[in-house]
Amino acid sequence: MESKLPQAAALHPAASVSDLPGDEQAAGPTIRLELNHPRAIRWMHWINFPILFTMIWSGLLIYWGDSDNGYHHPHRIYRIGIGSVTLFRFFPEWVYQWLNAPYRITTGLGYHFFFMWIFAINGLIYVAYLVLSGEWRLLVPTLQSFGEAIQVTLYDLHLSKVHPPVKKYNGAQKIAYTAIVLMGAGSLITGLAIYRPTQVHWVTTLLGGYEMARWEHFFLTIGFMAFFLIHVAQVVKTGWNNFRGMVTGYEIRPADQPLYTDELTEGHPYAAGHGRSAE
Amino acid sequence: MSDPVNSPDPIDPRPEPSEEFLPEDAGPRAGESHEDPEPSPFDPIAPSGTEASAGDDQKPPAHILTDGEIRARSAGMTRRSLVVGAIGAAAGYAGYRWIDRSEKDGRQELPLRKALHVDAMVSRAVFDERGLAPTYSVERAEDLRFNGPYGVRDDLDPASWRLQLAGVANPEKYPHFQKDITTWKYIMTPRNPDGTPAASDSKGPAAAPQPGVWVRSKDGFGDPMRGQEEAGESDSTLEDGTPGISLTMADLLRLPRHELVTQFKCIEGWSQIVHWAGVRLVDLLDLYPPAQVNGRDPRFVYMETPYGDYYCGYDLSACRHPQSLLVTEMSGKPLTQLHGAPLRLHMPIKYGYKQIKRIGLIAYTDKRPDDYWTKLGYDWYAGL
Repeated sequence: MESKLPQAAALHPAASVSDLPGDEQAAGPTIRLELNHPRAIRWMHWINFPILFTMIWSGLLIYWGDSDNGYHHPHRIYRIGIGSVTLFRFFPEWVYQWLNAPYRITTGLGYHFFFMWIFAINGLIYVAYLVLSGEWRLLVPTLQSFGEAIQVTLYDLHLSKVHPPVKKYNGAQKIAYTAIVLMGAGSLITGLAIYRPTQVHWVTTLLGGYEMARWEHFFLTIGFMAFFLIHVAQVVKTGWNNFRGMVTGYEIRPADQPLYTDELTEGHPYAAGHGRSAE
Repeated sequence: MSDPVNSPDPIDPRPEPSEEFLPEDAGPRAGESHEDPEPSPFDPIAPSGTEASAGDDQKPPAHILTDGEIRARSAGMTRRSLVVGAIGAAAGYAGYRWIDRSEKDGRQELPLRKALHVDAMVSRAVFDERGLAPTYSVERAEDLRFNGPYGVRDDLDPASWRLQLAGVANPEKYPHFQKDITTWKYIMTPRNPDGTPAASDSKGPAAAPQPGVWVRSKDGFGDPMRGQEEAGESDSTLEDGTPGISLTMADLLRLPRHELVTQFKCIEGWSQIVHWAGVRLVDLLDLYPPAQVNGRDPRFVYMETPYGDYYCGYDLSACRHPQSLLVTEMSGKPLTQLHGAPLRLHMPIKYGYKQIKRIGLIAYTDKRPDDYWTKLGYDWYAGL
């Protein structure tokens, strides 16, 4: 990497540093603050949390109306199982009781068809920001991410002792966070296909018809729930410093480690320009 | 969630790092100084001054932050961010409480009811409801499930059935003109409960009350009482003495017969492909066009069962949709009482709760008509 100031620094090595008082200061700090998540990303992340929660909650109130009741059987697809073997049916009665879901379809519809706008707009702005800011370069998986994701998974499951490379997002994260954006888009599209199936019948047909679109919408929601559980568990496991990155934007990092954005400079397929620079 | 002092712009280009060329003992990653023309949002904000102190006599040595000071700065940012986050969470909770405790409009929180109206406006503007529902082969059709007894709890004597039309232009010029269509007496007979299917609710028989023989209440004059279902009496009930047209089934069946195999969709989440036959609503409207309001068509159509137990409101444009069908047969057989004999509506651009059974009245109006399920919390528009 080229520098504008290397010679000056190189010609005047640390001789004078030793003149400064205090060993610690003379050596310089061993840590630094590095901006990990820009302000816009943090706002959109935290806004999305209660909005997505509201969409899932209201969606479950709606879904209760067609939940399997052991009486009609056209809904056996909302389950985990094959053929006549069903391991789990969505959802057990206690879940609905816990949610106070029975006979609250209108509450669900009211919230769902209001917060859908906020969910959609927040998501669209997020994607636009990723593209315009260049943040997508650090987020979208590369070919290497898939191998790395396996490595991360083995490490997290304590099946491997090889620590994955420290990056802003490791391969598993890149895949997960990109997938969740695509799932959000999928929820909007399948949602529209259910919401106005006559007016956008070509979308509904492309998705396999009205009932398939509902099934897809439902299992995307199950996917969000699974993501949420794993995401929270991983954040708890990774610790406060990482979490703080999504709160203040800054992480405390060892001063001798490369910057997160340095990832983009070493033959990275998306490394056009520098780091987060706008295109 | 506030950014630190320099308010770094996240899209600022990153300055060239220079620290790679510093000797190791100068302190790793200590290259950035406050004299940089463009402070980087990515590089350390804390370490500084090493470079200036590294032999450049022209610059006064800048203060070098210690690890402790960097941590303190981070802690300060964290406190500020958590305060902002707490305010945001409180605002979000206050917003939820505001919605949850707001005034109800037809059992729906007013802000959410208004949102449903906005959704309907957007749908009307974007789609114009001109889309045609997909049709299927007859082989794929099923018998429609019976899902609710509202408005059909007793049996209607078909001979006593008339289709009343109100708000028609120049009604007196038609042979079926009546000076007062509100006095017509439909003859109802109690239904033998043995004939009631086991399923009367989507949640199955356990949840569905099984009333005995249902009998309509009578008022003090011995006249049948209106609005005998949960949502009560309609606000769009015709005034006494409303003139109109009174059609028999034979009159109606002079219109061209149409068949349709489309999907019936219930807002509860289930759907079925059904084979319908009957006459198109638009053909009836063309034969009996509405009286003009201020030189234009009225905007709405109102329909109700005899004695107004169940009632629905529609945009006139939705009634003119080519697939809006006045149904007399389902699955190739005459309608049963439970499915709304002798006449029900199928409207594939609307949810099932708008597809009213046992139609007794069709009225043009320029005032948005009352709607049974809207009173119980559902959307008036109900478009698909």
